[in-house]
Order: sequence, then structure tokens, then C-alpha cells
Amino acid sequence: MEKTGTEEFIVNMGPQHPSTHGVCRLLLKMDGEVIVDLVPIVGYLHRALEKIAENRTYLQYIPYTDRIDYVSAMFCNHGFCMAVEKLAGIEVPERAEYIRVIMDELNRIASHLIWLGTFSLDLGAVTPFLYCFREREMIMDLIEMTCGQRITFNYMRVGGVSRDLPDQFIPKAKEFIEYFKPRVDEYEAILTENPIFLGRTKGVGILDKKTAIDYSVTGPNLRASGLKWDLRKKEPYSVYDRFDFEIPTGTKSDTWDRYIVRIQEMRQANRIVEQALDSIPEGEIKAKTKPVFKPPQGEAYVRIESTRGEMGFYVISDGSTIPYRVKLRTASFSNLAALPEMARGWKIADLVAIFASLDVIMPDVDR
Amino acid sequence: MIKENIVKIVQNKFPEKIEEVPFVGVDVAFKVDKDLILKVCQFAKETPELSFDLLACMTCIDYVDHMEVVYNLFSFTHRHKIAIKTSLLRDGELDSVTPAWNAANWHEREIAELFGITFKNHPDPRPILLPEDWDEGFPMRKDWEGKDFVRLPKK
Repeated sequence: MEKTGTEEFIVNMGPQHPSTHGVCRLLLKMDGEVIVDLVPIVGYLHRALEKIAENRTYLQYIPYTDRIDYVSAMFCNHGFCMAVEKLAGIEVPERAEYIRVIMDELNRIASHLIWLGTFSLDLGAVTPFLYCFREREMIMDLIEMTCGQRITFNYMRVGGVSRDLPDQFIPKAKEFIEYFKPRVDEYEAILTENPIFLGRTKGVGILDKKTAIDYSVTGPNLRASGLKWDLRKKEPYSVYDRFDFEIPTGTKSDTWDRYIVRIQEMRQANRIVEQALDSIPEGEIKAKTKPVFKPPQGEAYVRIESTRGEMGFYVISDGSTIPYRVKLRTASFSNLAALPEMARGWKIADLVAIFASLDVIMPDVDR
Repeated sequence: MIKENIVKIVQNKFPEKIEEVPFVGVDVAFKVDKDLILKVCQFAKETPELSFDLLACMTCIDYVDHMEVVYNLFSFTHRHKIAIKTSLLRDGELDSVTPAWNAANWHEREIAELFGITFKNHPDPRPILLPEDWDEGFPMRKDWEGKDFVRLPKK
């Protein structure tokens, strides 16, 4: 008897698909309902940020860094300023470093909240989305109070930050921290042990440690694969070595692990902000730099732990006011490249969960 | 301790082909011959004393008379980081390092379309970031001219 079956066929998902979080196109090769192979097609948000860098002064480029990853723009500001400071040998005042850490960690919580909201929305749970945006709004208010912006902050400068914290900031932020602690339990109560959620995430989209490293996957996705690696702890920059926090890791390397790692990271980020607010010193907020800023000739590669993983800035100076070359090493770019490894053998509905759990931000991929 | 030895270990394997260069933010940086790049990368990954398992960053710089490709490597085991550089002619060819790290795949595709370098034995040499019908050359080159592109004067 003749063998019956279906032929393999191609399905196009995106670029305009509600669960691709921006504009990403996935070409799926399907065998019935099962994904045989997948090709991510990116570049829809390519804005030539590296080319623009070669045509702007160092200071003019800081607002552009906001646009690399607009969900966690503080990290992009921080990374670029740090790279230039290393190159020019500038010491950042202590208070400025504390402010940077506070802003980074608040931004990390805000970014994880967006991720959690959209992740649960992709899985069909609408309530967490509303909860998350309620809390994120409070963080946005805190940051707006400080730098006047809510998304693209343009807050950090080479040598420090652009302005000091306003008087009301510290009491307001402390209030938020106390308010936020039980909120994380609230999200967990809806999702963590929810049987539908477990069915959608447990054991789905496994990315083992070896493959993750091979694809340069970093950040929470790598930690969910079981490697205890966090630049804030293992290669401390700024003043991170002064704070007490833990590195959450996963054991099963699946979608659920990537979820729980980020949930715990929000708690840890909250702890860091709390400690930083208690111990922030008085003093200068910006090192003195010349009005026409020219770092000496040389090159530097600096990396920080952004929300999505290792964010690297490779800056080359030829001694003029304009960078000779800026390379942006973004975490999402490498994380997305590993998606086919995770998605093979799963169904499209699972792909939506896997893709969302990676926390890829498309402008971060395309730059 | 091992950090000073990295260059020595590589030099023992590839004598007279290694030249140290200044670089801020890494333990050590050196330049290798372009024909050796894949061998050096595989050596750096597989030697137990080096074990550079993470290709942290890979990029290209246009120096107008030549191109330079830079590999930033990191080892989770020993926690040391290096940069390997190699220089080649414009429109030059370079061995793909995808046999060592899969992460190089997308990075090389990006460099190939933006700078015009060909990577030999690349498993998937399609463009990645630019539009499908792009025919205006290699935009990251220093002498690239685009119709809306105005260069800022250097000071």
C-alpha cells in the first residue's frame, strides 16, 4: 500500500504578527502541524545606528543609543558612556555611579514587566498584562521625574549623569519598592502554578547550556539554561560590587525556567535599588569634561549586563570629536539566532510561547 | 597568572605570526595572519588552558586602505577575554569561523553585506539587515556615498 502523509510546506509568520513583538518574519517549514525548520528574517527596523555614530560627536550620539533597545534605554546610555569613559580614562563620581545603578535597575524592572505582560498576553492571559503596566507606569513616573523622559531617556553623560535626583525622588522610590514587593507575588499567584500556564511552558523549547554558549546567548536566557553567569556579579562594573543580590538560575532550560528567572530577577533588582537608595552618598554628579570632547586615540570594548544579556560597545577613537567606529553588540541579535534550535519539533502555538520567552526586542536586533 | 600566558600559548603553536596590539577592556589583544584565523580561533576554543567558548562580539573596521576584522572572545571557565584581530584587503576573502562558534553565522552575514568581505565556506551567505533589493554598495565603508547622506566635517 502506498504510504500516506502530507508534504512539507512553508508558512510565513510575520512581519506583522501580533506575537512577533515588533517586525520579525519567521519562515516556518512545516510537516503537518510540526515545525521542521525555521528561518528568522530580520532587518525591518535597521536604522544604521552604527553608521550614524560615525557622523555624530560623542555627546550627540547618546540620544541615538536610546533607540537601540528602547525598552531598556538606560543600559544603552550606560554602556556607551562607560566605553567612552574607559577610552578617555574618566573617573565617574560615586554619586553618579549610584544614580546609574538605581536607574538601571528600575529600568530592568520596567523592562521585565513589559516582557511579563506581553508574554502572558501571548499565552492568552490578559490580567497580568494590566497588572504589569500598572506598576511600570509608576517606574516611568519616577524616571520622568528625574530626566523628563519616559522611554528614550538620554539621561547619562560621559562622566556622570545629566542632572541630580530631585528631592522627592528618594521617598517616592522607597514607597514604590515597598509597594512592588508583594506585587511580584501577585503575578506569581496568577501564573507560576497555573495548570494552563504550566502546560504551555513546562518542558517546551529546551535550550541546553552548550548550544546556548555556542550561539552566544547571554542574560536571563543563559541563566535559565543553568549557567550562573551575571556580569554584575562576576565582572562588576560601576558600583555593583557593593550590593548584596543573588543570581537566579534555571535547571530545565525550558520556557518556564526563562519565566521564573526573570520573575526572580525583578525581586533582586528591587533589592539592589533598595540598598542603593539607603547608601547613596552626596557629592558631584558629573566629572568635568572639556566642552569640545576628544578622547585620545585607541579602542575599547566594554560590556554590561543589560536586561536581555550582554550588551557590548566597541568604540574606536581617532582623536577627533567624532567616533571612528562604534560597534553595538546587542544581546537580542545573538539570542534570536538560537531560536531555530529551540523551536524544531514544536507546534506554532508553542513557537509563540518560546519566542516570547526569549524576550527579543526587534530594534535591538536590527540596530 | 594565566592571562600573561595566553599570548605565549598561542605563540608556541603559531610562531612568528602573532603580534600584540593595544586594546582597552580586554586582557590581551593580538593580530594574526588572515589565512590562519580559523585555525587560531579553533585552537583558542579547544585548548583546555584557553577554552574561549563565547564569541562575545565580532566586527569589522574599514581603514580605507585595508579592512580589519576583530573577534572578541571570552572564556566562562577561566574568565579571561581577548581580542583577535586580522587585517585583509578591501573586497578580501576570509575563512568563516562558524565551525568554531555558531554565533559567528549572523555576525559574518552582517559584515559581508555592510563591508563587502566574502566569508569562505559560510553555511548561509544571505544578506541579513539590508532590504532584499539593495543595490547601493556597502554602506558601512568609509567612502560610501548615499543620496541623502551628508558627512559631518571632522574637527
